[in-house]
Amino acid sequence: MSAQLEVRGLTRRYGDLTALDDLTFEVPSGQVVGFLGPNGAGKTTTMRVIFGLVEADRGEVLWNGAAIGQRERRRFGYMPEERGLYPNMLVREQVEYLGRLHGMDSQAAAAASGRWLERLGIADRATSRVDALSHGNQQRVQLAAALVHEPELIVLDEPLAGLDPTGIDAIGGVLSEQARAGSGVLFSSHQLDQVEDLCESVIIIDHGRLVASGGVDELETGGGNRLVVRVEGDREARWARQLPGVTVSEVAGGAARLVLAEGADSQQVLHAAERAGAVTEFRFERRRLSEVFREALA
Amino acid sequence: MKRLIPLAVLAVLLVARALRHLCRGERPTKAPRGPSAARRFVETHLGDVGLVAAREFRERTRGRIYRVGTLVILAAVAAAVIIPALNKSSSAPARAGVGVIGTLDAPLRSAITAAAREVPLTAHVVAEPSLATAEAALRAGTLDAMIVDGRRIVVQQGISATDSSDDAQLAHALATTLSTRATLNAAQLSPAQLARLTHPVRIPVTGLEAAARPAEVHATTIIGLILLFVLLSQYSAWILIGVAEEKSSRVVEVLLATVRAIHLLTGKVLGIGAAALAQATVVVGFALVLAKIFGSDILKGAAPLDLVSSLAWLVLGYAFYCWVYAAAGSLTERQSQLQSMSFPLALPMLFGYIVSITTASSGNASTFFKVLAYLPPTAPFAMPVLVGLGQATWWGFLLAVALSLAATVGVAQVAAGIYRRAILRTGQRVRIREVLRADH
Repeated sequence: MSAQLEVRGLTRRYGDLTALDDLTFEVPSGQVVGFLGPNGAGKTTTMRVIFGLVEADRGEVLWNGAAIGQRERRRFGYMPEERGLYPNMLVREQVEYLGRLHGMDSQAAAAASGRWLERLGIADRATSRVDALSHGNQQRVQLAAALVHEPELIVLDEPLAGLDPTGIDAIGGVLSEQARAGSGVLFSSHQLDQVEDLCESVIIIDHGRLVASGGVDELETGGGNRLVVRVEGDREARWARQLPGVTVSEVAGGAARLVLAEGADSQQVLHAAERAGAVTEFRFERRRLSEVFREALA
Repeated sequence: MKRLIPLAVLAVLLVARALRHLCRGERPTKAPRGPSAARRFVETHLGDVGLVAAREFRERTRGRIYRVGTLVILAAVAAAVIIPALNKSSSAPARAGVGVIGTLDAPLRSAITAAAREVPLTAHVVAEPSLATAEAALRAGTLDAMIVDGRRIVVQQGISATDSSDDAQLAHALATTLSTRATLNAAQLSPAQLARLTHPVRIPVTGLEAAARPAEVHATTIIGLILLFVLLSQYSAWILIGVAEEKSSRVVEVLLATVRAIHLLTGKVLGIGAAALAQATVVVGFALVLAKIFGSDILKGAAPLDLVSSLAWLVLGYAFYCWVYAAAGSLTERQSQLQSMSFPLALPMLFGYIVSITTASSGNASTFFKVLAYLPPTAPFAMPVLVGLGQATWWGFLLAVALSLAATVGVAQVAAGIYRRAILRTGQRVRIREVLRADH
């Protein structure tokens, strides 16, 4: 079995507030996993529990089937939501220092630091102070600090927030590359389009509870069948409104988006459309991740 | 001794100014060279604590504030050592010219010299040929007083009742001496009687308690005390700012994801402590070299003992206060809260310093002061003064050290708990009551 992170039955309360409620999920190695949920769902608390920054009231976090300790955490990389770097320190020194704290010797840390700064396109700022860098470049330094020790698991809280498209592509590319190299990647984001492009699977939580999880393909093709149908002369899709087991979810530009209940026959829908007029478009459509997200939270 | 009081006040002002600068943050001057052998040793053998300590030491010592601060302290130490030494070498009594019109025999010359010595002045007695030449010399300033026929003393400017200048004192002393001589001469005493009257046997004066130590030893104690206060205030502020900086920049979350809180805190305390000790060693070494070159009295008598005692209490004081300031730093949310946070913390230090410097200046340690010498917050200032005054016993000294160490262990435990619970709480300043109530 490949190395993987297992979160089992995590529960954490702050007074009357339940931040995590029996939360269970897994992050397999070699995959980029999106960690989704509305604000206050418990994503940051979960990440903090994984790194021992917050103690869970109940539950456990396992790595390769064994409880996680300081030694295991040294092999993880972490990029918290609120970015954390020493503002006065030079970029290269900062990345090297964090590499050393993760157990690298000084030569290895120096070499890896140089490599990562080069890879992330900020090698020319290696001797600059961190606070002299732009937001995007500070984000890249933060990512270099999380990756310098070649971690087996990378956990990132909103790594794409505030980045321009170039920055998103650069960081997204690095995360995919790390997953291909065998690391597990867990990252949270509110930008669902990017999650859709980057992730193989997603975990959706709400009020500290798991509400959906699985492969992106599986989730997008799950639920009822979705059809896009365009009938000449009926731009309001009146023909579809009375069909049993069919819900009109949207009508835009003369095309109707239909959600078919379980057991509803798409061929009967086609016949009904043909009876209403000339059918100029008839195709199946996958659910978008944003729809999966909304439906899971509904 | 009074000359050192302005220095003491200056020390307080310097500390306040330095704190303001520190709270605003500083910029490192340049990139460092490769790791030193000592740094490699610390990093290799002390694990995470060593890595954190090495970073703290490196960042602290290459900062501009450290370098400029060290230079300022060295300049102040140079002034404190050199100026008294130079004053001492030029402290021979000033010269006073006394002209005599009339007979100037050996007894009169001797009486004038003795009277001037009381002021104290060194009399240069000359016979003047006439009143006119003597008056001219008086106006020209070559004479300070003239004696006319042993019956009248003339000075350039009249003397008021409150005049305490050297010239006035010389005139009064000469008047008294000449009056006494005239009276004795009129009494027609035998030479033996005259000798007994003019050279009386002094009655001894004894004290119920031992005499105060020589002023030079007090100077050593006071200089040590000022340095103690400046350095301790500075080093504690470094801890406060270092912890607050890690929290406000949120880097602490990244660090604590891989380093245990107690290791992070201990590394910080050791690293800053090493930078502090390096600075203190440079300052003390510089003071010793200057004292040797200029023949200062700060190394004479029991002064070396004062010095060792002050250094020991610098280390003990830092060990005690650094934990308190670290805990306070973990409660702050923004760097702007540091000044309001540091003020109440500085009060025990300031109190100990003021009471100690007052006691060192007066030379008398009250019972209250002796109690302060055993209380860990004030002992770093009070105990070195007690040693300087020669009023500390070896067992008392060791007892104060033991109490300070025990209190440090207790304070460190409480501070580490506060730090662990408060350092990740962001958004607003954390109240200490909330932290102590929290279960995690």
